[in-house]
Amino acid sequence: MRFELSEEQRLIRETVRDFAETEIAPSAAQRDEEERFDRGLMFDSLAELGLTGIVFPEQYGGAGADYISYAIAVEELSRVCASTGVTLSAHLSLGANPIYLFGTEEQKQEFLIPLATGEKMGAFGLTEPSAGSDAGSTRTTGVRDGNGWILNGTKIFITNGGEAETYVVFARTDKDATKHHGISAFIVSKGTDGFSFGKKEKKLGIRSSPTMEIVFENCRIPGTNLLGEEGEGFKVAMKTLDGGRIGIAAQALGIAQGALEQAVAYAKERKQFDKPLAAFQGISFQLADMATQIEASRLLVYNAAYRASAGLPYSQASAMAKLMASETAMKVTTQAVQILGGYGYTREFPVERMMRDAKITEIYEGTSEIQRLVIGASLTR
Amino acid sequence: MKILVCIKQVPDMESKFKVDAAGTWYDTSDLAWRMNEYDEYAVEQAVRLKEQLGQGDITVLSIGSDKVKETMKKALAMGCDRGLHVSDDQAAGKEPLQIASVIAAFAQDKGFDVIFTGMQSQDRGSGQVGVLTAEILGMPSVTTIVDFSCDGGVVSAKRELEGGVKARVKVNTPALFTCQLGLNKPRYPTLPNIMKAKKKELLSVPVAELLRADARQQTTKLYFPEKKGGGIVLEGDVGELADRLVQILQEKTTVLSR
Ligand SMILES: Cc1cc2nc3c(=O)[nH]c(=O)nc-3n(C[C@H](O)[C@H](O)[C@H](O)COP(=O)(O)OP(=O)(O)OC[C@H]3O[C@@H](n4cnc5c(N)ncnc54)[C@H](O)[C@@H]3O)c2cc1C
Repeated sequence: MRFELSEEQRLIRETVRDFAETEIAPSAAQRDEEERFDRGLMFDSLAELGLTGIVFPEQYGGAGADYISYAIAVEELSRVCASTGVTLSAHLSLGANPIYLFGTEEQKQEFLIPLATGEKMGAFGLTEPSAGSDAGSTRTTGVRDGNGWILNGTKIFITNGGEAETYVVFARTDKDATKHHGISAFIVSKGTDGFSFGKKEKKLGIRSSPTMEIVFENCRIPGTNLLGEEGEGFKVAMKTLDGGRIGIAAQALGIAQGALEQAVAYAKERKQFDKPLAAFQGISFQLADMATQIEASRLLVYNAAYRASAGLPYSQASAMAKLMASETAMKVTTQAVQILGGYGYTREFPVERMMRDAKITEIYEGTSEIQRLVIGASLTR
Repeated sequence: MKILVCIKQVPDMESKFKVDAAGTWYDTSDLAWRMNEYDEYAVEQAVRLKEQLGQGDITVLSIGSDKVKETMKKALAMGCDRGLHVSDDQAAGKEPLQIASVIAAFAQDKGFDVIFTGMQSQDRGSGQVGVLTAEILGMPSVTTIVDFSCDGGVVSAKRELEGGVKARVKVNTPALFTCQLGLNKPRYPTLPNIMKAKKKELLSVPVAELLRADARQQTTKLYFPEKKGGGIVLEGDVGELADRLVQILQEKTTVLSR
């Protein structure tokens, strides 16, 4: 068992960290304040770096790197800006990866390559007003029409919504089948007649990442846009989320790491009672716990990523990684605000943003309760 | 065109430095390492030159332990074609002339048209390796360049001199250039290029095969500068403060003439 990153993985970390600190960090607070997505910065420049297709083979426009490299990239982006981290994660894990996993060769040529190269951005539409954790309750319908399909329904909370060009969406194609049977996955391109965008959410955190409603009204798509087998959509969604959870776990890890570094730096500088805060054991013990939980999360995240690249089962591992990393992010960012005191509560320092950003990692791509459900089921199956 | 870029791996300057047990260098355990900043400008300029010409072959050279290969990989990922690692666990203790002798011994019969080095290293900061290498090789060197253009074997470079003065220098190749901040903005290596760098040639040779100069200097002691006395804090109203500041500057410094 080896716990060391490879030379390439270390170089990827160094590169993405330099890039994130120099290019992404300076505008993070302002983009958050203005709830502004900056595509040139938060997506196009990631494409130039070759991040938009990290894990896909070169033949499909990717970099041919592994999932640990991907986790490192999302972690390093999220360390300074969680909105940029999730932009990449939703694009790659949720938009592009299902096409890589379930697409035909033609679909990979048409849809995966432009996603991997970053010419186009991807998104994933599963959630509906009445189908959240219970994704099997999908009500959006897909009805055969000659050799095509007609979609009707509304998806909510779609990350990269409005901005993305390529959407993987889920619709019920068999009314009579029970629950998660009878759902199919489709690829829908922005600009298709009958496909429009609804309201943009105003959020607590990751405010620089757009979250939108997407609407299908008699939206006709070609039969060749069915992704995977008809009626197998639920499986497509669950497999996609297994991978996506590695991305969100890495996002949470990055947020926590960023908050820890802020807290450490502040505790060394700030003096009260004639001593730096770090000299109080009550503070240094907190920092010690924060760092320990982050390191434990990191090992779980990299382990899940390792398993994904090695072709081993990783559904349980990625649920554990996401559960641990997201709850750690919430705890650590809350403590970081505490260590910065009143200053930490203001927008002069980034920890309040980190605390707001951390919360979503316990919710999307399966809430913490759903992760426990997945892990529990895998234990007692 | 054949291009050589010489790079050094140095500690991240944000690191906490400690003097080592021997008291002659910094303690190298527990540091994060990266490419010397000025060498990044050198690598970038080499890659731009090759891109501009549409042809060329760039060799990146570094002297040090096996760990410097990681930094060389970055140079390869940025666009260098091949790497020559001079294996030397004692590189940090070698004086500039020794380092230059190694580079010159390697470069001697290779027919490089242009050699780039950093203007200095961020840790030792001697600023001598580039010029000494050029001297041994008998080629001209142009130091602290902030602008570089090449047209048919003639290079026009802008040098940064003291006090904000700049000088424009024209020189025929082969020539050596030491690169300064402001020359360019080094690119980030792309992920696909990081992956491809694995497959590029990276040879190692023991330093003994190339070292041509004996040590003439000896570092006797490395130490932190002594802490100066605390500053003066002036208090009072603004007009009074300004008067007292002027008085102090006149009495204790040469900033204001009396
Ligand atoms: C910013 C943001 C971005 C998002 N991006 C996307 C996206 O790109 N694509 C997409 O499809 N969706 C996206 N989502 C949706 C997200 O995945 C869902 O919000 C999430 O799955 C929870 O669903 P819900 O909101 O309907 O909550 P509910 O499912 O109604 O859950 C409410 C609460 O009940 C708990 N609960 C539910 N079922 C159980 C159970 N069986 N046992 C115990 N507790 C339970 C939950 O854990 C939660 O605490 C996004 C959401 C947000 C807020």
